[in-house]
Amino acid sequence: MNASLDKGVRVLKEMIDAPIASYFASCVHCGLCAEACLFYTETGDPKYTPIHKLAPMRRLYEQEYTLLGRLKKWLGISPPVTDSELGAWQELVYNSCTLCGRCSAVCPVGNDIVYMVRKFREGMAVAGHAPAGVIEATRRTIDLGSPMGVKLHAVKAQMKHVEEETGIAVPLDVEGAEYMVQLSSMEIINFPEYLSAVARIMQQAGKTWTLCSTGFEATNAGIQIGVSDLARTIVMRIVEGAERLKVKTVISPECGHAYTAIRWEGPNLIGRPFTFRVQHIVEVLDEFRAQGLLKTQGMETDRLTFHDPCQLARRGGVIEPQRNLMRMVAKHFVELPEAGLMNWCCGGGGGVSANEEADALRLTAFKRKQSQLEAVHPDRLVTACAVCRTTIEEGLEHYQMKLPVIGLTELIAAHLTAPAAGGPEGG
Amino acid sequence: MSIHNDSEFKAALERLAPDRQRQVAARFARRVADLSQDVRVKTAIEAASRGGVSEAELEVLHQAANSARVESFTRCGMEADWSDQTGHFVAKAAMACVRPTAAAGNLAWDTAMHARMARTCQTITEGTGTGNRETEAQYRLLEDFLNQGVRT
Repeated sequence: MNASLDKGVRVLKEMIDAPIASYFASCVHCGLCAEACLFYTETGDPKYTPIHKLAPMRRLYEQEYTLLGRLKKWLGISPPVTDSELGAWQELVYNSCTLCGRCSAVCPVGNDIVYMVRKFREGMAVAGHAPAGVIEATRRTIDLGSPMGVKLHAVKAQMKHVEEETGIAVPLDVEGAEYMVQLSSMEIINFPEYLSAVARIMQQAGKTWTLCSTGFEATNAGIQIGVSDLARTIVMRIVEGAERLKVKTVISPECGHAYTAIRWEGPNLIGRPFTFRVQHIVEVLDEFRAQGLLKTQGMETDRLTFHDPCQLARRGGVIEPQRNLMRMVAKHFVELPEAGLMNWCCGGGGGVSANEEADALRLTAFKRKQSQLEAVHPDRLVTACAVCRTTIEEGLEHYQMKLPVIGLTELIAAHLTAPAAGGPEGG
Repeated sequence: MSIHNDSEFKAALERLAPDRQRQVAARFARRVADLSQDVRVKTAIEAASRGGVSEAELEVLHQAANSARVESFTRCGMEADWSDQTGHFVAKAAMACVRPTAAAGNLAWDTAMHARMARTCQTITEGTGTGNRETEAQYRLLEDFLNQGVRT
């Protein structure tokens, strides 16, 4: 056994905690999780059955913690986990799993298969079997603080661009601001309109807000690759920034895994409660709406639909706020089949879009989203996750479907009643 | 007419008829066209500059520029190459300036914003990030355009 495999297997064994042991023990092999996974439904290949993706980990569990498993191991019927086996499993653990959680949602015995896959990824990463793209993203996170290599001067450049466009000052490191706004790398690089929209909304709502020079980045590669130490480090940067600035609320941007990382995993990762609240931008906007602070005018008259980001809706439980907001500005809002809790994933989350080896499979899996869209024939699609946005746009382009995709925050900002003081509304 | 800030800039653009907006938008896009190597982007900008483009042709040009835009997204987890990203925003500017008339909106303003973002990406590549004069250049360009319109 080589050193990395040895270490990986040791980590895998350590990952088998009480929940995982109980999940393996209670799995009834019903196969319902297969029908919930778009990689299985769109390929028909049984190897993509979610619980099967955990087979090496299950065998380790049985060999270590069950009498029958130990007996099988002793008799040589249950072979040891090998390096080549883990190498072959990379496709199943990374390429064909977006951590969307649909399998967990349908499991009749309540197994959280996503939790198990994440734990499996911890061992895979240590054993050296994470995809190259995800490893590189992780390295950049360690070296530069951002998985896509975004540095502060790029953020400042975007701030200046937004300030010119909106006529609104974008605050940085303002102590005592009510909200600390975070950005995902994707928004800094591809979608400057997000920051522009936030600036205009905050101005109208009359709220104080700030970006943080040491914690602007929301993306958490540690969650995607499955390295808890890294995930903890990234969360700590945000926590230290928020506590230094004494903000009341940290706003997670339009990025699914960033929300999961800071909102749901964060306190557990650092081992203590936060001194501030964490909300997704969609939750903040809906709160403003409920408080009468979000005043919009006019309605979109074409047919709009909403794609629920998995980490926000299914894993995060945020389902109604985005619909409240859509109804504020869309006259013809149509739901996708199985929208909300059971919405189908775009196919690019969980590090899949960073993994070039997964490109062909991702586009095959997109057929599920394609069929959802063909069922309702929208004129435009709205979402609240930058990764969903680019993944869907690439899928639409691949299948030659003409359907504009926009961000929800941007859509709401386009309907604000008053333009920013001293400046025009964004285009 | 003089343009001193973005409020005046946007208002002046909004007052233009769609075909005039497209003409000035093409001038904004042309300033950054060299930052893209994509032939679909260059074709769209050239067509908008030429003028007299039919709605059917605009539709095709818009779709082609959109393909260039989508293909040039930096994907989540990939290393940001600001030089490549410059091309992405030029594609967005090109898309805006060949937007079909029925959905035109303030296409000149949109083109100007994307062109500025393209220039911003270029300066990020160079390590400065904020030092560019695209905004002022656009003001002067619009002034010239409007003054030419008055003279003709």
